[in-house]
Amino acid sequence: MEFGPIWRSLLRNKAGYVLIALQIAVTMAIMVNAVAIMQERANDMARPSGVDEDNIFTFASIAFVPDTNMRALIDEDLDLIRNTPGVIDVIATNSFPLRQGGWSMGLTLEPGAGQESVGTAIYFSDEHAVNTYGTRLIDGKDFDPTQITWNEESVSKWAPAGIITEALGKALFPDEQGSYVGKTVYINENDPVKIVGVVDRLQAPWKGWDIVEHSMLVPQRRDGEFQRYVVRTEPGSRDELMPVIEEMLANSSKDRIIQQMRTMTEVRHRSYLGDSAMIKMLMFIVTLLTVITGLGIVGLASFSVSRRTRQIGIRRALGATKPAVVRYFMLENFMISTVGIVAGGILAVALNMFMVNAFGLRPLSWYVIPSAMLILWIVGQLAVAGPARRASEISPAIATRSS
Amino acid sequence: MLKMTNVSKVYRTDTVETHALREFSLQVDEGEFVSVTGPSGSGKTTFLNIAGLLEELSSGSYELDGRDISKLSDKERSRVRNEKIGFIFQSFNLIPELNIFDNVDVPLRYRGFKADERRRRIEKCLDMVGLASRPKHFPAQLSGGQQQRVAIARALAGEPRFLLADEPTGNLDSAMADSVLDLLSEINNSGTTIIMVTHELTLADRAKRNIYVRDGQVSDEAPELQLAVAGGQG
Amino acid sequence: MFRYYLKLGLLSIRANPALSALMVAAIGIGIGACMTIVTIYYVMSGNPIPQKSEILFNVQVDSWSPDDPYDEPNEPPEQMTYLDATGLYQAGDDFKQVIMFLSDRVVQPEGEDNLPFEIESRATTHDFFDMFEVPFQYGSPWSASADTAEERVIVLSQALNEKLFGGADSIGEQVMLNGESYRVVGVLDYWQPIPKFYDLNNNDYGMPAQLFLPFSVAVANEHGSAGNTNCWKPFGDGGYSAFLNSECIWIQMWAELPTAAEQDRYRQFLDSYVTEQKTLGRFPRDLNNRISNVEEWLEIQEVVDEDVSMLLGLATLFLVVCLLNTIGLLLAKVMRRTKDISLRRALGASKSSLFSQYIIEAGLIGIAGGVLGIALTWLGLRGILNLFSEMDFVQYLVKMDWVMVMSAVLLAVVSALAAALYPTWRACSITPASQLRIQ
Repeated sequence: MEFGPIWRSLLRNKAGYVLIALQIAVTMAIMVNAVAIMQERANDMARPSGVDEDNIFTFASIAFVPDTNMRALIDEDLDLIRNTPGVIDVIATNSFPLRQGGWSMGLTLEPGAGQESVGTAIYFSDEHAVNTYGTRLIDGKDFDPTQITWNEESVSKWAPAGIITEALGKALFPDEQGSYVGKTVYINENDPVKIVGVVDRLQAPWKGWDIVEHSMLVPQRRDGEFQRYVVRTEPGSRDELMPVIEEMLANSSKDRIIQQMRTMTEVRHRSYLGDSAMIKMLMFIVTLLTVITGLGIVGLASFSVSRRTRQIGIRRALGATKPAVVRYFMLENFMISTVGIVAGGILAVALNMFMVNAFGLRPLSWYVIPSAMLILWIVGQLAVAGPARRASEISPAIATRSS
Repeated sequence: MLKMTNVSKVYRTDTVETHALREFSLQVDEGEFVSVTGPSGSGKTTFLNIAGLLEELSSGSYELDGRDISKLSDKERSRVRNEKIGFIFQSFNLIPELNIFDNVDVPLRYRGFKADERRRRIEKCLDMVGLASRPKHFPAQLSGGQQQRVAIARALAGEPRFLLADEPTGNLDSAMADSVLDLLSEINNSGTTIIMVTHELTLADRAKRNIYVRDGQVSDEAPELQLAVAGGQG
Repeated sequence: MFRYYLKLGLLSIRANPALSALMVAAIGIGIGACMTIVTIYYVMSGNPIPQKSEILFNVQVDSWSPDDPYDEPNEPPEQMTYLDATGLYQAGDDFKQVIMFLSDRVVQPEGEDNLPFEIESRATTHDFFDMFEVPFQYGSPWSASADTAEERVIVLSQALNEKLFGGADSIGEQVMLNGESYRVVGVLDYWQPIPKFYDLNNNDYGMPAQLFLPFSVAVANEHGSAGNTNCWKPFGDGGYSAFLNSECIWIQMWAELPTAAEQDRYRQFLDSYVTEQKTLGRFPRDLNNRISNVEEWLEIQEVVDEDVSMLLGLATLFLVVCLLNTIGLLLAKVMRRTKDISLRRALGASKSSLFSQYIIEAGLIGIAGGVLGIALTWLGLRGILNLFSEMDFVQYLVKMDWVMVMSAVLLAVVSALAAALYPTWRACSITPASQLRIQ
């Protein structure tokens, strides 16, 4: 393989080749980082919310007539819904995973002000919450109906029990090997909360929160005008039941409006809309970029071949076989690509470090750069194949032509 | 050693048929220095291309060392060109991006020799043509005569069966031309067969045997004396 | 000579249609990708109220916890407590201020067939409309006295007026909200500042609230806040009134301070207010008041999505790749024409005239690339609109105005010229007659 002569001849006539190498380098830098971003988003989107998403839908009920007996209304609604065939369970609450809005509080290990606190999302619940969400209780037990209270307007004390997620437990008690059940934490500075149960997973409403796995179910029902209902159905029944329940509730009370009827799937979709759009856009850019770079190589390689017809003819005259000519150009392209890819690797890492700093991107997985290198090598070789083949067809008789 | 028998070459387009060579026959023995002469359009370039296996003949036979090389595949033809024939072109045809050493190296690479074998041959041939001191120079840095010497070194490096020279001094002034021709004679004296194609009779005189070509055929008559213009083209 | 070069340029482009088309395509695609993101960035980071942005200030006081700042490194909270908003508003009556918050209300239209529906309502003092230059179609804002008297008056958006009253002059009509009756005193004209700078806590780019009612009335009727509420300290028993007296932040506050002197005076006013509050046991943190004008506030709030900034960086690099492509193509074109160049030089063309010729040719390609780029940008924006079809506000971000169109062409021409520099230099270096075969 004639690496030496090819390298020396490349150095003589750098311009065109430097351009290809540069193009490959920048393409690589973009490709690698775009893939890193796509990976990160895809990973985020793959996180389970902890609820039975396929079979859950949610909606809001907004009462607008003053002095409505909210507690009676809520109980009536829950009753109606629970008795609808196909419904597994339902709760009236303040929020749910991935809603992008909700309530958060800090939990401390000791009462009093000025303590280090661990943040968590708060879901007001009753004894039906765990069953409605479909989240798995891995320790302790569910709420007992006697533990559930209604909030009192004039009293701001928090309920003394709570069900937490495993992640929240780990954050509160990092050195604890045993059970979190029975331990007490403090909410709102002074109100004690005894942990009665642990669920394996239940995400907070904010998908971008770095403590999104911290949630706590609070055994308290709230009687505000704005209620969010979460309904879990039998598999397959969700789509038919949604309009049925909407109409049923619209008819059962004219003092409130029902809106934002959404399946959990749709909630997830809306929540991650930005991320899925980003993935699609980056996919498009990377593909377009590869095509453009590939075409660029085809163009410059064709041109380079056309400038060297005489040389190719001479080589053929001197005994080069057609495959030898093809190999020459493939090898030349390989060497140029390699320079570009190595430079691109360095550029990609530099760009990645910048992005980690500026945008909090997670650093690259180890296999991204080698994979990008492989792809670009292949693209380069594919791109040069056509011109190389055309080069091999050049007749050796060109060598004897006088001009 | 080399035998062409009734070789014809016809170029066909949609409308025109050109008989560049007709019933051309030639025999060259080992160690000869033969010139093939004729005016432009006589077919000598076609002869050159056929002799050098740069083009295929339309009919007839071409034997080299007893082997019929007229109907070989492209791969085999490349091999023959590489191992048996040493080309010397009128416009030198050195590759401008490569230095002297790499230029002489080109046919050796296709031969598959190892690095030390190649180096040995290249140094020997550059020495033979008097350019051993300039291996890293580029063609653009050399005079015409020197470039042609490099081309000769390249042709010799593979120890071919014969050298095939096409107007070897066509692009050189008379002083350089003389020195190149002296070199060729020297090479021939040490045993290398040379076939030289030219339109200049003065050049042809330097060869030991002359063949005349006219209208695509070997002709017995020597063409009219032509005034050779230094540096002229056929 | 310029016309001559123009002619040569056009001839050359026509003589090399494939190569020229490739160059135009390379530039066009690069510009298209870049300008799509730039347009979005430009709209997102635009100044929504340029005629007044320098004199409108968001007000922040640091009422936060002694243990940790609201935000690193030492940022005061983005909103105000009820105590501070009303305290400052009343004490600073010789300044122009506004305090407000967002709420959700249910409109109960008349007639059995008209279903109630929910809308966003903004509870604000009367100053809002004048300060933010909100245009009125009918009527006018309520007065200061209406604020103090807690009159049940409202101002409707144009869209809401359309929905309730068919767009007619509805001044004096009554509208029922959550069982409370309000009298219409004003109807707004079309108004949609992008971004919604005055309240960046709720959907920066969405529609403004559909109706406005007096701050005092909303509080009197215990309208809940639909925006973000943060509390660093638990508030005691007592429901809504406890909430009002708490350290929870949920109110937005702005001031209009036309001169530097006014701004200084206001800063002193804030300082003395906070100092006084400290004697009452509040404001445990050090003095840390801020006033930020509109553009400063938009930057602090990082109103441009990080994703957009990232995409902008990548799109620029994409353009670089397209330009490298173009340089290669131009180089190829030049190398193909060495004979022509060498001949012209032999016939007396100077290096600079060759340079001009080729640069002008590049400029033509740039213009063509720019036009293609505009078309591709439009396509790109449609694509983005499609991707985000569930989010209404995106349609306001994907509009190209004349500035963007001109920028696209300018960017294309500048890029083409930049790409042409090296190939043109190579062209000019070709010596006279070097490529002509002189025997």
